Amino acid sequence: MKIDTDFNAKNLMPEAEPPVEDGATKYDVELVAVSKSYDGGAKAVDTISLRIPKASYCCLLGPSGCGKTTTLRMLAGHESVTDGDVLIHNRNVTDGAPSARGTSMMFQSYALFPHLSALDNAAFSLKIKGVKKAERHAKAMEFLKLVQMDHLAHRMPAQLSGGQQQRVALARSLITRPKVLLLDEPLSALDPFLRVLMRTELKRIQTELGITFVHVTHSQEEALALSDLVVVMSDGQIMQAGSARDVFEKPSNAFVAKFIGGHNVIDVEGRKVSVRADKCRIVQSVGGTNIPAEVTNIEYQGPMVRILVKDSDGKEYHAQISDSRFFADPPVIGEKVTFSWMPEDEWRLAA
Amino acid sequence: MSSMTMSPRIASWLQATPFTLIMTCLVMVPLAIILAVSFMDYGFAEIIPEFYLGNWTDLFRSSLTVDTYATVFRQLAMVWSITLVLGFTISYYLVFHVRSNMWRAIFLAACAIPFWTSGPIRMISWVPLLGREGLVNQALFGMGLIDQPISWLLYSEFSVILVYVNMLTMAMAGPIANSMAKISPSIIQAARDQGASEWQVIQEVIIPLIKPGIVVGTIFIITAVMGDGFLVRAMSGNQMNTPAVAIMNEINAFQFPPAAAKSVVLLVIVLGMVGLLLRFVDIRKELAR
Amino acid sequence: MGTKRTTSFYVLSFVFAAFLIFLYGPMFCVYLLSFQGPEGGMSFPMRGFSTVWFETLFTAGGRGVGDIHNSFIRSLRLGAIVALLTMLIGLAVGMSFRRRYPGGNFVFYSAIVSMIVPGIFVGFGISLTLNMLGMRPQWWYSGIGAQLTWSLPFAMLIMFIILGRMDKSYEEAATDLGANSFQRFQYVILPLILPGVIGMFMAGFTSSYEEAARAGLNIGTGNTMPMELTGLLGAATTPVMFAVGTLTTLFMFTMVIVTLLASWSLAKRRQLRLTAHHA
Repeated sequence: MKIDTDFNAKNLMPEAEPPVEDGATKYDVELVAVSKSYDGGAKAVDTISLRIPKASYCCLLGPSGCGKTTTLRMLAGHESVTDGDVLIHNRNVTDGAPSARGTSMMFQSYALFPHLSALDNAAFSLKIKGVKKAERHAKAMEFLKLVQMDHLAHRMPAQLSGGQQQRVALARSLITRPKVLLLDEPLSALDPFLRVLMRTELKRIQTELGITFVHVTHSQEEALALSDLVVVMSDGQIMQAGSARDVFEKPSNAFVAKFIGGHNVIDVEGRKVSVRADKCRIVQSVGGTNIPAEVTNIEYQGPMVRILVKDSDGKEYHAQISDSRFFADPPVIGEKVTFSWMPEDEWRLAA
Repeated sequence: MSSMTMSPRIASWLQATPFTLIMTCLVMVPLAIILAVSFMDYGFAEIIPEFYLGNWTDLFRSSLTVDTYATVFRQLAMVWSITLVLGFTISYYLVFHVRSNMWRAIFLAACAIPFWTSGPIRMISWVPLLGREGLVNQALFGMGLIDQPISWLLYSEFSVILVYVNMLTMAMAGPIANSMAKISPSIIQAARDQGASEWQVIQEVIIPLIKPGIVVGTIFIITAVMGDGFLVRAMSGNQMNTPAVAIMNEINAFQFPPAAAKSVVLLVIVLGMVGLLLRFVDIRKELAR
Repeated sequence: MGTKRTTSFYVLSFVFAAFLIFLYGPMFCVYLLSFQGPEGGMSFPMRGFSTVWFETLFTAGGRGVGDIHNSFIRSLRLGAIVALLTMLIGLAVGMSFRRRYPGGNFVFYSAIVSMIVPGIFVGFGISLTLNMLGMRPQWWYSGIGAQLTWSLPFAMLIMFIILGRMDKSYEEAATDLGANSFQRFQYVILPLILPGVIGMFMAGFTSSYEEAARAGLNIGTGNTMPMELTGLLGAATTPVMFAVGTLTTLFMFTMVIVTLLASWSLAKRRQLRLTAHHA
């Protein structure tokens, strides 16, 4: 995974516009009250508005059927917009053709042309433009180099592994010099090891190119690791949009707190609060809330240990404690403990 | 339960036996017999089992042979190119433009239903349309475009080609549509993303990917046109002579050995063309996909 | 997809509509002209409406209808037997392809050869073989045999496609659960491929009913429908041929609808059984 140090990815994007100072194009993508419904039925996407700042890595996060992929496809122009506007670089592209928007989409299945070599796949858009063979192959080779696939340029897609196909698909998308790259669950088809590797790679390329990536995922881990902007969606609506840290530390409602994981959502005096599991303890906290409970399960996770407990009403809670603290006095399943947290760790959720 | 202890290989052989016996005894052996008979002498309505090269020398001396092949290749070229363009257009429409699965199924059924009417009936159904007093002539006359009926509409090469196209377009469209349906929609969208126009998508992505379908469709067309004698006789009003017609005429006259020699030539040509085409596509792999 | 329609959609819709007219135009002429008045001929205009041409068909010895009655019965009899044999032999050869075995390619390509060799050669070859053996053609062996060379390859392809797409792990799972090979076939494979089995029967029947090139020389005495109709083509002077066309189409239509309904109700019954089990 070593990058050629003389190789400056920004050179591959000569037509990228110079940074604009005026406020008008601070954003790469703007969605204004966008809705999508099929044949007059229920709304798949319900009046969402979103601004994605320049050169940011944005993840659309949510469970399947939440409308995140539909939103991405509307950005790409593969799905028509029922209501509202889509702006890219301050230009209204709501009804524009996919190729005229300045976006490029990377498909979940990669969608490589099976009859063309990696090189010809990458060079496809140049061929469409009528660029001469030698020139377009040279250009495609540069982009294959960017994704470290130049050594396999002459292989056919069927002869490439999933991760390699993905890299070629990435090169093919980037060669159109998109202002915004759209990625539809790009890592979901890879095995866990490769997933983490590709994740780093995507972030590197995004940073080097200085363009916006919009990445659809159902993995909160992926979203938190990559994003400058996390957009949590549910039922066609945006639940919360903010930095990864904001979303994790200050979830706006119970859905976000539960979906992002690592939180207990608790009713305290008639209002809902969330408490991070790693702030909870299974010993008495002086000045905190203490609940008598019984240990129901213990999951060893390496540096942390996750402990599930149940109180006398049958309500479940979980705590994450460091392995050193756990092994200092390891509880066993069925043991009576005290589940506790401090008031300053409560985060108040919207109703 | 003997099969529980039977080796899988023997089980497969037993299962394939009836099928293989029929294919061997009723296809392979008879084709070999045709070859053998082509070297035999004949009398009136009888085969004389003696070695005789006359059937072959007659065949290669006759200018009729060249004429009949010229006719059938001309017809094949026309039928193939028309059914290819038409079949492609129809499949492309059904696979990529019709979005609702229900409508696609209805349209496909609509294309299949006319074939439930028996072949000879469908041939004769052109008479009221194309005959001297047919609808087409009546309409042209009514519009004042002609003052006497056009005679080449029926019992001509035109009507032969027209009916071939009518009967064989779906044989070309079917395999092409099958190949097209295997193209993932995201591949088309990826090409559009890359700036390709609809025509460029067809040229650069769809056509290269449906080659197997075109090959299979072409094979259907070749065997249908080269091997048919009934349609040509009926639609040309017994005026056109193709190799298959010539063979049928000799069979009807009980001149089996010369018919066998002609059959061998035609078979070698047809199988040669098909074999050449099959070099470009692995049928077994295509089907299992 | 959900994007907007382009101009090409409308152009292609027009082409498709024109093609349907090209397919159906002549057929509707047949259906319409079969109700031609008694004074009318084989062309338009219609001289009144009547069912006189249908009546001709059903009153024996009508005007130039040949032996249509008996040919129809012969065709039905032949079709039913060919369909049954096609289904059984097709099923067997299809099952053989559940595993790779030596000779499998020969079996597969012999079917491909039988499909691409023009029918008259197969028919001619069989007839020559009988001739050499000094046997006379009879419908119940050479007729059926000749038609099987045409229907079986299709049956094999149907099975090949259906079984080829069926996950092999179903059988492995059944074996793990203690099923022997017969139970595996009866409880796992057959229910899954039932539509294909019905499909083979239908393919067998329709290909036999329409086929003349192979059976023609080997059927012995007595024409089948397509042979009889081809014979009548040249001699036809009245709309009685069209009446035959209308009736045979109606017959095929009924056959197909009945088959579809049968397989639909079969699937429905299975669905009901499944939901009953779950309830």
